[in-house]
Amino acid sequence: MNSKPIYINGLGSISIQQPLSFEGIQQPLSYQTPHVRCVEPNYKDFFDAVQARRLSKIIKRAIVTAKQAVDDSGISMPDAIVTGTGLGCVEDTEKFLDAMIRNEEKFLQPTFFIQSTHNTISSQIAIHMNCKGYNNTYIHRGVSFENALLDAYLLFQRGTIRTALVTGNDEMTPNYFILLGRIGYWKQAIQNTRTCITQEQSKGSFAGEGSVSIMFSDTPSSKSYACLNRMSLLYKPVKPMQQIIREFVADCGLNIDDIDVCMTGMNADTENDAVYNSVLQDLFSPNEIGTYKHICGEYYTSLSYGMLLSAYCIQQGIVPAHCILGGVEKSGVKHILLYNHFRNRDHSLMLLSTC
Amino acid sequence: MDQLIEQLKKEIIEVLNLEDITPADIDSNAALFGDGLGLDSIDALELIVLMEKNYGIKLQDANQGRDIFKSIQTMAEYISKHRTI
Repeated sequence: MNSKPIYINGLGSISIQQPLSFEGIQQPLSYQTPHVRCVEPNYKDFFDAVQARRLSKIIKRAIVTAKQAVDDSGISMPDAIVTGTGLGCVEDTEKFLDAMIRNEEKFLQPTFFIQSTHNTISSQIAIHMNCKGYNNTYIHRGVSFENALLDAYLLFQRGTIRTALVTGNDEMTPNYFILLGRIGYWKQAIQNTRTCITQEQSKGSFAGEGSVSIMFSDTPSSKSYACLNRMSLLYKPVKPMQQIIREFVADCGLNIDDIDVCMTGMNADTENDAVYNSVLQDLFSPNEIGTYKHICGEYYTSLSYGMLLSAYCIQQGIVPAHCILGGVEKSGVKHILLYNHFRNRDHSLMLLSTC
Repeated sequence: MDQLIEQLKKEIIEVLNLEDITPADIDSNAALFGDGLGLDSIDALELIVLMEKNYGIKLQDANQGRDIFKSIQTMAEYISKHRTI
């Protein structure tokens, strides 16, 4: 099927790096702990006291990054808002459940209940932007952002929409961090998050969190970062991934050699990264394999940060050395293939190119 | 009564997440809804939960709320008469 490219015209992010800036891509902060929380902007610059009091932190982050992406794009109002979130507003969910247990199922506070629903994020973005268009939320753990993007992508292909704000939002509460730690998600200790993928391969990764908003349009602008040529989601693929990648790239009218960087979801967890190594070793050299989770940490919708980073790198034409497995800066970048997997079960391929 | 009013202000600030507002900023006789603090219907539910949880008062008649929640002063007067905790 011939697919129409869609253009990334605006970006916004709050992550464990400097908020609302691309500084983290150039010079990422490094941490020595396996649980890193977001660096928050001053929300008083964005909300008055009355507005802010009923917005949990994740909702504030989502609204602020959405505003940044929309302002960046120059598009006043998106036709659609589609959100991916693995956990939704889990902090308020925890507060609500804690109160329910503590008070023996009495005295339930309505605000925590309202905010504990997953689709609150997308709807609050719409309320604050006064956007009455299509609004949807995808909650599929490690492939939530992928499915949100696929929804928007298909709406573009059908010509139903001309612009869309696609967001990925997740928070990592201390409780959830502990729960995932019990099943081996995290390292016990970490020396340096910035270099962990190449130097601290062991069981588990390090936890991050973040909100990323990406403004797509069916037409490029002078500010376009990159275009999304094609995307594909696969569940338990039957064919070998090497073959699938070759066919995917060929469907885009390219050869494997045309791909400047294959940006992966490597996260310093031996088991996770072994999947990438086995798939990519015959296709790309270490100087063509990229990483981003050393910047944003591991969380369910971290691919949204990978897409933001890749789009920015394409606009700049450079992938910094710390994002390349081989440690050598890649210049003249025109095509980045985003390849991610979740538990070697769900795989995704997305091709970003210069406009 | 003054002690109860002060305690009530602190509880309302906490439960309604009124950042940057101190008890001294709240006029005991100012309207809680509309002008004044600018509370809304969800806040009303929060206040009903607060009264039941902290003072053992269960409001049976929704129409009562209109008078009880006029201001901090009216809330405090109602609580002092009807509290069970």
